[in-house]
Amino acid sequence: MGDRAKQLLFLAATIGVAILAALPLGLSAYGVSTGIVYFANVALATAWALFSGPTRYISLATAAFVGVGMYTVAFAHVSLNLAVCLALAAIVGFLFALVVGLSTLRLRGVYFVIFTFGLTELMRQVSSWYEINITHKLNRFITISIDSIVIYEMLLVLAVVAVVGSWYVSTTRLGHALRAIGEDETVARHTGIDVTWVKVLVFAIAASMMSLVGGVYALRYPSIDPTVGFGNAWSFQVLIAALLGGPRRPWGPAIGAILLVLLSDFLVGAFSRYFTIALGICFLVIVYFIPGGLAPRIEQLFGMLARARRAAGGASGAAAPREPSKDAAKADIETGAKMRAVPHRRSALHPLMRRLTRSGPRLVVRHGAGPPPGAMLSVHGLRKAFGGLVAVRDLSFDIPAGGITGLIGPNGSGKTTVLHLITGELPPDAGSIVLQGDEIIGVRSFEICRARIARTFQLVRVLPGATTRENVMLGRMFGSDPTDPATALTEADALLDRVGLADRAQLIGSQLTYIDQKRVELARALATRPQLLLLDEWLAGLNPTELKIGIDLIRRIQREGITVLMVEHVMEAIRALCGHVVVMNAGMKIAEGTAAEVLSDPKVTQVYLGEDDAAA
Amino acid sequence: MFEVVLNGLVLGGMYGLIALGLNLQYGIARMLNLSYGEFFTAGAFSSFFAITLYHLNPLLGLVVSVPASFAANWVIYRFLLLPLIRRAPNRDALDGDVVLCTFGLLFVFQGFEQVYWGGNVRGYYFLSFPVHFFAASLPANRLLAFAAAMVLGGILILVLRKTRFGRALRAIAIDPIAAGLSGINVLNLLALAFALGGAMVAISGALVSTFIASSASSGIVYTLKALIVIIVGGPGRMAGAIAAGLLLGVAEQVGGYLVDPGLTLAINYAILILVLLIKPTGLFARG
Repeated sequence: MGDRAKQLLFLAATIGVAILAALPLGLSAYGVSTGIVYFANVALATAWALFSGPTRYISLATAAFVGVGMYTVAFAHVSLNLAVCLALAAIVGFLFALVVGLSTLRLRGVYFVIFTFGLTELMRQVSSWYEINITHKLNRFITISIDSIVIYEMLLVLAVVAVVGSWYVSTTRLGHALRAIGEDETVARHTGIDVTWVKVLVFAIAASMMSLVGGVYALRYPSIDPTVGFGNAWSFQVLIAALLGGPRRPWGPAIGAILLVLLSDFLVGAFSRYFTIALGICFLVIVYFIPGGLAPRIEQLFGMLARARRAAGGASGAAAPREPSKDAAKADIETGAKMRAVPHRRSALHPLMRRLTRSGPRLVVRHGAGPPPGAMLSVHGLRKAFGGLVAVRDLSFDIPAGGITGLIGPNGSGKTTVLHLITGELPPDAGSIVLQGDEIIGVRSFEICRARIARTFQLVRVLPGATTRENVMLGRMFGSDPTDPATALTEADALLDRVGLADRAQLIGSQLTYIDQKRVELARALATRPQLLLLDEWLAGLNPTELKIGIDLIRRIQREGITVLMVEHVMEAIRALCGHVVVMNAGMKIAEGTAAEVLSDPKVTQVYLGEDDAAA
Repeated sequence: MFEVVLNGLVLGGMYGLIALGLNLQYGIARMLNLSYGEFFTAGAFSSFFAITLYHLNPLLGLVVSVPASFAANWVIYRFLLLPLIRRAPNRDALDGDVVLCTFGLLFVFQGFEQVYWGGNVRGYYFLSFPVHFFAASLPANRLLAFAAAMVLGGILILVLRKTRFGRALRAIAIDPIAAGLSGINVLNLLALAFALGGAMVAISGALVSTFIASSASSGIVYTLKALIVIIVGGPGRMAGAIAAGLLLGVAEQVGGYLVDPGLTLAINYAILILVLLIKPTGLFARG
């Protein structure tokens, strides 16, 4: 879409909202109440998708949050002013979601679905019990009378705030972080994203919107009861609306909500007897024929129309491609090389965003030029057992700053476990890991990334649904020196050029070949601005030409001042690159020294080749 | 109090019975079938019609409902769920699709039941005489359901442990890809397990209908009950499902007796939530 089209769209949306706002003056009571239903559903579905769209957590707790809002207003309006009541509803919803989120967001998939459903049911049961047994009245009366036009206007505002807010969030770092979490939480953690906090925060923001809608909606009723407040129809309706419209587009859920309300009105009128069946068939149609929702389809359609128009109008009207030119990319490499010399600067981030990127209290992040003298990282007495299997046993070694250290050993000797222990993916049973004087055991993965340790994965992990460029931007936006998306974009392109992927910046992760995925991983790791880079068999599976390029690349990375620890089986690369090699077998260190020393050590040849061949 | 616990155990046996089929569908085949309860009501209705329309023993309704439910669930797996499995890029996406799809099926089935069988609550009397048991007495139909739970649960455990079919299913439940690579026809067996789950729930529907009346819209209640039992017991664990059923039944009765009968459902959900928070893999899961 060109800028002009965007302006037009914005103008149309503004006029549309203005008309909707003015409408009730001429509408019947029926029209106003229809509007109320539409706006409430739009706001709820959009809020639902704000969290559940990108993260793919299917929440059935909408009714719980709506109910909390309704009951807050019902309890509070007796003694408080309406505006205060509504603010209170939003706050209570937020806090409630914070507690729920902190305790449950580690549940994935179906467990989360069941939990949120169970939570709503529990709240309905408990509130019914409370009303019947304690207050002896199931209905709780709402004693203020508000003109339904006011409710209409309030919900219109909430719907607009929800849609615009969710669009805004999707463009911020928070939005990028959420999408990364949805694609691969492990990668998100190791790219410096505080996964728990991001999830809980957004879950709570969405919930406070739901409670606010619930609070306003309660004003329609003379009284509310637990089946109105905590009725799970809210949860299901909102879920279906969002999935129908497309939960991964900011405006998708709104479309879905409007269509769903239209559709159910139509079905009730046309097939009253068969309404349930017709609704069920609609679900099935969504699943089988419009997975991903309507929004992506509509975008496709507009894209086709725009292309057709452009083709008709000649190439002159075509928008300039966004790809940076070759020269610009080159210039970026230059600055990219110099970036390391620039002392750490705080980006002009929103305070809220800064909280997201804040480093852990236990670590002082040291940014500066060149590696410090001595050991970059010291491992001492490290131990990790999985049940009876001791994967790492009393392991101690140093990684000299500025050099390339090789960690080799037969398969299953515990090398990857060591990387997991260093990056906080696994907690060790005993021992210490010291990064330039700071103990990093117990520090969480995202904080370790921000302390400038980056890694690649043995089994490649590229975000499958994100483009190459977005994968790399992630590292830049959340690594040790976080920036805004725009800066990250230009620097990501420079890094892609460096690993030879400039022409594949727009490809989706899952479309890349294995080797290219490895390159993306490396670029993403470099984008976090590490002082220590951990490579887990990064050279495995390369052909001889690619191997040579790979070796050169690693050497250049080291020359720029990044310390490297590489787990590797390719001896050619170990000989060519590593000044210092640690050899592991069955979890223990069996040799340490220069490449030449360890490779001629009889113990090492024995574990690699077996006793007989070593003796020969 | 003895009677309360006994009632709880018998109730819990019923919960276990209801959950066995879903445990095959969700625990083994890993498909959260939200339309599960509709086959429960189908079983209940076929027994109801057997006795009211044809004056037959209500359990003869099983002759129709069990094969029908088996076939219907096989078709659901083979033709509705399999395309989703093939299409899904990852587990989360698949779970979302399956929830939506089976939710649609739930509405379709429920709609048909409402249109053709009416929205009324249908119940009948069968084996409702009391059986005396020490100081307490229990209705015979409830005891029958309890006994069926134990027997069917036992058979399922034996089948899963001792037969080739069962071993293959357990292998698939742990790692479908590795099972396929070892020469197991994963899709066929999963379709079979899913269909068997359907047959089991029809049986439980018929048995439970001898003492609890059902309506076209009561299916979802049983789906959720079964789901709670499975989550508490640990997906795929048949003994876990029976044990969790008993635990929930006793907790519900004792809690209702000691605190307030209005809170029985709340107790169920509270246990579910606690288990999810403390041991999300289920109380009786391995490891």
